[in-house]
Amino acid sequence: MSYHNPTDLPSALELIAQGDGKVVAGGTDVYPSAQPGSAPDFYLDVTRIAGLSGISEEADGHIRIGAATTWSALVAAPLPPAFDALKHAALEVGSVQIQNAGTIAGNLCNASPAADGVPPLLILDAQVELASAARGYRLLPLAEFIKGVRLTGLAPDELVTGILVPPQPYPVGTAFEKLGSRRYLVISITMVAALIGLDARGHIAEARVAVGAASPVAQRLVGLERRLLGTNPAKLVIGGGDLARLSPIDDVRGPADYRLEAVAEQCARAIRRAARIDRAAHE
Amino acid sequence: MKITVNGDIRDVDVEADMPLLWVLRDELGLKGTKYGCGIAQCGACTVHMDGLAVRSCQVTAASADGAEIVTIEGLGTPAAMHAVQEAWVEEQVAQCGYCQSGQIMQAAAMLDLNPEPSDSDIDAVMSGNLCRCGTYPRIRAAIKSAATKLQEA
Repeated sequence: MSYHNPTDLPSALELIAQGDGKVVAGGTDVYPSAQPGSAPDFYLDVTRIAGLSGISEEADGHIRIGAATTWSALVAAPLPPAFDALKHAALEVGSVQIQNAGTIAGNLCNASPAADGVPPLLILDAQVELASAARGYRLLPLAEFIKGVRLTGLAPDELVTGILVPPQPYPVGTAFEKLGSRRYLVISITMVAALIGLDARGHIAEARVAVGAASPVAQRLVGLERRLLGTNPAKLVIGGGDLARLSPIDDVRGPADYRLEAVAEQCARAIRRAARIDRAAHE
Repeated sequence: MKITVNGDIRDVDVEADMPLLWVLRDELGLKGTKYGCGIAQCGACTVHMDGLAVRSCQVTAASADGAEIVTIEGLGTPAAMHAVQEAWVEEQVAQCGYCQSGQIMQAAAMLDLNPEPSDSDIDAVMSGNLCRCGTYPRIRAAIKSAATKLQEA
């Protein structure tokens, strides 16, 4: 078993192009899911690559989250309120020890339907930056990057190098709701992230709502988003039609009809909190 | 590989994917760090890596190469205990005691970042360390007492 931990991106891209290697950062998904007797050809540890960790603002206003940025580093970073939902999700990923090791791009590449990082990044219109030695850089919208359960648009010779979040057009609030079978250390039964911007009258002028763990890939509820525009968030009612795109499964964590009922309530709570009209909900 | 453990640079010759937990226990003989579950669920193997609490069963030797590790043996000694260790003894936290080195390492890391944790801060941060004896009320009390000691120090 060889284990490479290169310190520069060109070396890393050269290595990953060489065969059936497993990319590892914090290892919080890779190692627990490793099966005895079926090791990859090599591990490629990306955490020492210069420039791959940390959060910065680009000249055009995009916020860049390095692929190997840990959840703890994200929580500690000063970021605009649009990132509140993502920070809240970061605090719900496993335990502190996991947040200290696990990375944001790792969460995306693992492509679990219940990945806590995905809904909060979907509402930010995040893009995933990929790099390969052969073709250089490309950007994929997050919704196109995650293609299915444990399936991404990453080519075999590519690495995720960062996540880019565009500047938001005007002040918005965001909120994240996670339902688990207990308060801490749980895989989500369902989760919702919402981004809301209000006009001068307090009506919804910008709405983005994303749901995780209720379909093979977390997704935006674009029908609901359109319906919310111009409405008063204090009079919000979520109906079955708003959730028609979802296809939750029955599993050990909960039956499908329970998931749908939970998502409806989570949408309402997340939208109200993002609109800052539910003060009590801010813990 | 060279890993700094409790201030000493240690040369270890092990497979790259050996968990740090086995490097510490089997190669370096530091048995204070415990094997609980081996699958990142329980927190018994918590150590500090470059100042942050991590689960040593999920850190490979290769990723710890060059890092600074602190284990329960390096946090304090019986003669010069860390405030959390002192508080643990005073509050008589341990029942069976198996989880306590992980609990103490996580608690010490939390107090570095948050010197005055509330009950809910403690519950949230310590949720990654399971205690099958259910000593959580005493764990919380000891952390509060350690926080006070550190503030007064």
